[in-house]
Amino acid sequence: MTADVSPPSSHASALGDRIAGAVLVLLAVAAWWHARTFVTGFRQAVGPDVFPRLVCVPLGLLALYLLIRPGINARWPGRAALLRQAGLLVLLGGYATFLEPWGFLPATLVGSVLLMRLFDAAWRQALASGASLTVILYLLFEFALGIPLPDIPGLGV
Amino acid sequence: MDILGFLLHGFAVALEPQNLFLALIGCAVGTLIGALPGLGPVNGVALLIPLAFNFGLSPTAALILLVSVYYGTMYGGRISSIVLNIPGDEPAMMTTLDGYPMALKGRGGEALGLSAVASFVGATVATIGLTLFAPLLVGFAIRFGPAEYFALFMLAFATIGGVTSGSFTKSLLAACLGLLLGTVGLDPASGVSRYTFGWYELYDGIDFIAALVGLFAISECLLFLEDRHQTTGASRELGSAIPGMRRAGACKATIARGSLIGFIAGVLPGAGASLGSFLSYTLEKRWLGRQGDFGNGDPRGVAAPEAGNNAAAGGALIPMLSLGIPGSGTTAILLALLLSMNITPGPLLFDQQPDMVWGLVAALFIGNVMLLVLNVPLVGLFARVLRAPSWLLMPVVILVAFVGVYSLNNSPFDLYVMLAFGVLGYGLRKLHMPAVPVVLGLLLGGEMEFNLRRALAISGGDWSILVGSGISVGIYAFAATLMVAGLVYAWWVRRTPDAG
Repeated sequence: MTADVSPPSSHASALGDRIAGAVLVLLAVAAWWHARTFVTGFRQAVGPDVFPRLVCVPLGLLALYLLIRPGINARWPGRAALLRQAGLLVLLGGYATFLEPWGFLPATLVGSVLLMRLFDAAWRQALASGASLTVILYLLFEFALGIPLPDIPGLGV
Repeated sequence: MDILGFLLHGFAVALEPQNLFLALIGCAVGTLIGALPGLGPVNGVALLIPLAFNFGLSPTAALILLVSVYYGTMYGGRISSIVLNIPGDEPAMMTTLDGYPMALKGRGGEALGLSAVASFVGATVATIGLTLFAPLLVGFAIRFGPAEYFALFMLAFATIGGVTSGSFTKSLLAACLGLLLGTVGLDPASGVSRYTFGWYELYDGIDFIAALVGLFAISECLLFLEDRHQTTGASRELGSAIPGMRRAGACKATIARGSLIGFIAGVLPGAGASLGSFLSYTLEKRWLGRQGDFGNGDPRGVAAPEAGNNAAAGGALIPMLSLGIPGSGTTAILLALLLSMNITPGPLLFDQQPDMVWGLVAALFIGNVMLLVLNVPLVGLFARVLRAPSWLLMPVVILVAFVGVYSLNNSPFDLYVMLAFGVLGYGLRKLHMPAVPVVLGLLLGGEMEFNLRRALAISGGDWSILVGSGISVGIYAFAATLMVAGLVYAWWVRRTPDAG
């Protein structure tokens, strides 16, 4: 995995670890607290709340340790990279949202062309490759695998 | 039937035309995935799982396809290490040290040929080991009760990742997070909904496969968007692979040592292929001392890690199949596939589904030969695919993942889960927290809780049953030993300068 081979010079402050530790401590406490709602009508040797609580104990303690004694973190990306990453998430979230209302073909065409643009393709390359990829995926799933993909409303394809 | 009889029967299963064809496809696709930088074995297999489901394959056929992909990625990882100086996957990291210098000297073809033979021997040794040792382990594990299984899960969590990743705390933390996420959904024993917050889509729990693809493939794309490295490799002539294959005879002692070390590293829970190739390379370097020219294109520096990582990949299948406890990230994902198909690996699997287990083992033997043969004509082709532009490669990967995950349940909800896990996976990588324990927790949590509850139901709520037998005490002792060994190993890595 690429993160593991990054050179040691890129290790920045351990702020990330402290934040993660704090978030996980909160998660452990909240999960412990929420487990009180897991009630059954009948008596069991181990109820549904026991195991999650058992997990919360080491989770909370280890997270506390991380908060107090953070280790090494990778360098966090700059503003431009963060924007691209946010772009990817918005794009994919949008794709998931519009896949069913629009149908597979239009949603995938738009999605793939924009994705390729995000990865620095020229417009012409993105349009040509996006269109071919959409058609190939459609043929693969709809016909070769026999899995119905969402149709375009009113058109039946 | 004895092992030989079972194995012959396995070959009958593996040689069925459909299975043979799937093994061939798996080997070719696996080599390609392994060769592509960034798309390592875990990501590759995770990506293909939704597709394998959609093909409507039987569990045996799907498993044959995916283990062929798995073995293929181990073969493929070395191609980009040697040609581009970028490891195709983590275990192939050590191969860059001598493989790339060889390519710079115009001996790239030779390095590829030699490493193919080393990979073949390593993988074959491991598959023979699997054939011999898995039934032994099964014979032992058949006596396990719920308390012993609970101990075994503790062993898996105490050791996974602790050896390969730097921080032990972070591995354990990741495992706890995975276990907690694994409790989401309806509790199977009582029907109480846990942490679902009214979302009925979560009643069945978090979909493993959406989570896996998100954790590995989507986070990889997020990571890619930030560093966008340009790949510039040795564009020299590669030369033929055949002389390198002949050359393997001269390195046979190296290959034998690498295979053995790799196999042992693979069987140990929580170690896996990266440890196999790392140990094989460093030990070989120590063993030969000044006789070698390591780091400047010594052929033995290519043979040792390749034999080691392929042997470890095979060895890691032993605990996965016979105990249901995966020994590495990729085997964890193979386990996810089996569990999703309602098949629980473990000692009973060998009894109840001998066709599947032995067909799989036979398919591994056949796949190995296929990989060696495929290698000669295809290496040049794969080396060319490596230069495919990333604006094409990454969107294809993402969309295949998306459509694959969507079509599992026809549910956009799974896509949101996948994206959320993508963000989680990215955060974990940035924090140097391994993602594999999260997957393991998510996968094994249900089974772990089930065994805990059964053990306590048997004892009437007396918790001392958990350490009530010699076997479970032995397992806890073994876990403690491995943890100490992990700490010693981490110390040794720190004082060995070429740790990568």
